[in-house]
Amino acid sequence: MAERARLGVRRAAALLGSALAGALLIGVLFAPSPPLRAHPKRIEVRFWHMWTAEWKVVVDRIVERFNQSQDEYEVVALSVPASSADSKFLLAVVGGDPPDVMTQWNPVIPTWAESGMLTPLDELMSKEEWSTFERTAYPVAKKIGTYRGKLYGLAVGVNLWAAYYRIDALQEAGLDPERFPTSLEGLVAWGEKLDRFDAQGNLTRLGFLPSWLGLYAPMFGGGFYDWQKGQLTLDTDANRRALSFLVERRSRLGLDKVTRFDSAQNAGSGIEWPFMTGAYAIAADGQWRVEQLARYAPELRYGVAPIPPPQGGKEHAGWSSGNFMIVPRGAKQARGAWQFMKYWSGLENPERAAEFYTWGGWLPSFPAVAAAPAFQTYLQKYPQFRCFVELMPSENWETAAPVPYQVYLADREAAADQLASRGVLTPAAALAALEQQAREELVRRRRLGFAD
Amino acid sequence: MERELSSSSNAPVSRKSSLRALGGELRRGLPGLAFISPWLFGFAVFTAGPFLTSIYLSFTRYNIVSAPRWVGVQNYAVLAGDPVFWHSLELTLLYALAAVPLAVLAGVGLSLLLNFEVRGIGFYRTIFFLPSIVPTVATTVVFVWVLNPQIGLVNSLLRAIGVTGPAWLKEPKWTFASLVMMALWGVGGSMVTYLAGLKDIPVHLYEAALLDGASALQRLRFVTLPMLTPVIFFNLVMSVIASFQYFTQAYMLLNQQAPEEATRFLAVYLFERAWRYLDMGYASAMAWVLFLVIALVTGVLFRTQKRWVHYG
Repeated sequence: MAERARLGVRRAAALLGSALAGALLIGVLFAPSPPLRAHPKRIEVRFWHMWTAEWKVVVDRIVERFNQSQDEYEVVALSVPASSADSKFLLAVVGGDPPDVMTQWNPVIPTWAESGMLTPLDELMSKEEWSTFERTAYPVAKKIGTYRGKLYGLAVGVNLWAAYYRIDALQEAGLDPERFPTSLEGLVAWGEKLDRFDAQGNLTRLGFLPSWLGLYAPMFGGGFYDWQKGQLTLDTDANRRALSFLVERRSRLGLDKVTRFDSAQNAGSGIEWPFMTGAYAIAADGQWRVEQLARYAPELRYGVAPIPPPQGGKEHAGWSSGNFMIVPRGAKQARGAWQFMKYWSGLENPERAAEFYTWGGWLPSFPAVAAAPAFQTYLQKYPQFRCFVELMPSENWETAAPVPYQVYLADREAAADQLASRGVLTPAAALAALEQQAREELVRRRRLGFAD
Repeated sequence: MERELSSSSNAPVSRKSSLRALGGELRRGLPGLAFISPWLFGFAVFTAGPFLTSIYLSFTRYNIVSAPRWVGVQNYAVLAGDPVFWHSLELTLLYALAAVPLAVLAGVGLSLLLNFEVRGIGFYRTIFFLPSIVPTVATTVVFVWVLNPQIGLVNSLLRAIGVTGPAWLKEPKWTFASLVMMALWGVGGSMVTYLAGLKDIPVHLYEAALLDGASALQRLRFVTLPMLTPVIFFNLVMSVIASFQYFTQAYMLLNQQAPEEATRFLAVYLFERAWRYLDMGYASAMAWVLFLVIALVTGVLFRTQKRWVHYG
């Protein structure tokens, strides 16, 4: 009797389980899916980008504005994970189904353009648009997108670096924020006054630590590429002076001490930026930090100034990169993509586009956007941002060397910088090795039949 | 003559019958083949196809977008003079030499400990097995924190006893040591197979050894280890192959500013050449050299097994 009752319970449980599973399956199969297209009758323009979180919200707002602005195209944005975006793009191009437009920030233009993967934008631009771009775009915006005389990338946000200083730290050390140093040597001297150590001699605050050869070499009159002659300039006097300067400051503090101190800092996301947490008193960083400081540390008193050049060096110089839009070969709606690009960049209507740049805290490619009322209002709200806008017209900003093996070269430059900073190689030996590696890569490529 | 005639007249008959037999075999095997056809299709398209194609690609210049261009043996010739390739091969070999024996020792040692029938042994076995099923990426992220020179767990513990720990993932020799240590973290997978091997050793061998007066150490030396050698050999071969393909942890650390001298393994350099520098032909040549090295080392291991592996 008890056995029969147990079987009955089991059967009922099995029946109930099956019914629930069936209901779930029906629910999943017939559930209404969210519409992918808000305007299904328009021509779809597929747009890939790598922004996430708060940045994705901004991008979606710009896309929405574009879609509202006309009735021919509908841009459909897709956020692709940054770690795999490049390989996804490559496979999409090879598979014959690439997006129509993509925003990039990796140094990909020369390699991809050389492989025939990108559409030169001058093929999509009208004569007037090309002429406006040539005439008005900031020099650095042109450098970012140009390869072998053709424009492949339209910058929609230029990145520049400047010196952020904490007013509380300066005042505590008896330094006057109004008299910010005018030479790099002076800035390093300030940094030394701002360094703090614990009883064991470990760093507790870094005053100012210049690092990253790419950023400082142009200030010493160096850089990795001669744009006039069209050739690499790696193992040069200026680059050696720059790297020696960077290593010297690090060595004076103690390589091990700096390594340990730095390893505890998270330079990545906004709220953990060591400058914000007080671990750095002066830090060289990009313009996007202004927006982050306003959001995460609104009470912090700080200023921004151009990183001063060394004695006899170049003013308003350094490294620049940016977010730029590319159109792959094989894009089905290249025309629609171009409409979206000129809408966002401000090439079409600078006053309208100015608002987009303020949403993301981006630097525009055109002075007309920076002069627009919306952008000026933004500068009044965030006066620290003005420093970056004033740096934009300079010809002294360097970008990644436009050679077909740019990614390889960028990796080797970073390695040379790292080896010298860790004290494994002297600055001269690190740059000689870099020069040698670049030469060997060129020889290797020529043996495989490449022109350069 | 008659014999000749009969044999010649029988030949087509026997060929026919053997063909018929083959046809029958095929018919009988068809349902089985149909059942495994999804795997067969996947294997042909995603493994065998690319595998064979990569032989051809290794003799070409290929960036995945344009058609491959024949360059003869240039990729191999250039590879022979590529210092980064030789360095990455040396690093990979060193890693295999350091990590594989340690992993075998740790795996065997752990399985011996977990072979004792003590209270709660199932719990202990689970605890030691768990790390091996944690995704490699998650393990690496945790280790980046554990080995942080300033705020990491390891150096904090060392500091508590008055020792200043090294800058683990910032100095080449310590980075290499960290990678070897991380390999030991996942030793639970092979530990389970050693444990299964231990359970498989006939009890009468131990009884005989006890009757002969063998001590615990002698039973380990003359019974347990020899009987475990097939499992050790299996794990040795698999670990050697895996260490030559070592990628994820090293690639992640390389991207976290760890010294490249200790993280640019052969598989990492191969990936960079293929996907960062779009040099698929060159990367294919590297892959084939790697394949030959693995085949050679595995072959040598198989040759040595006669001397030390007991299948009794």
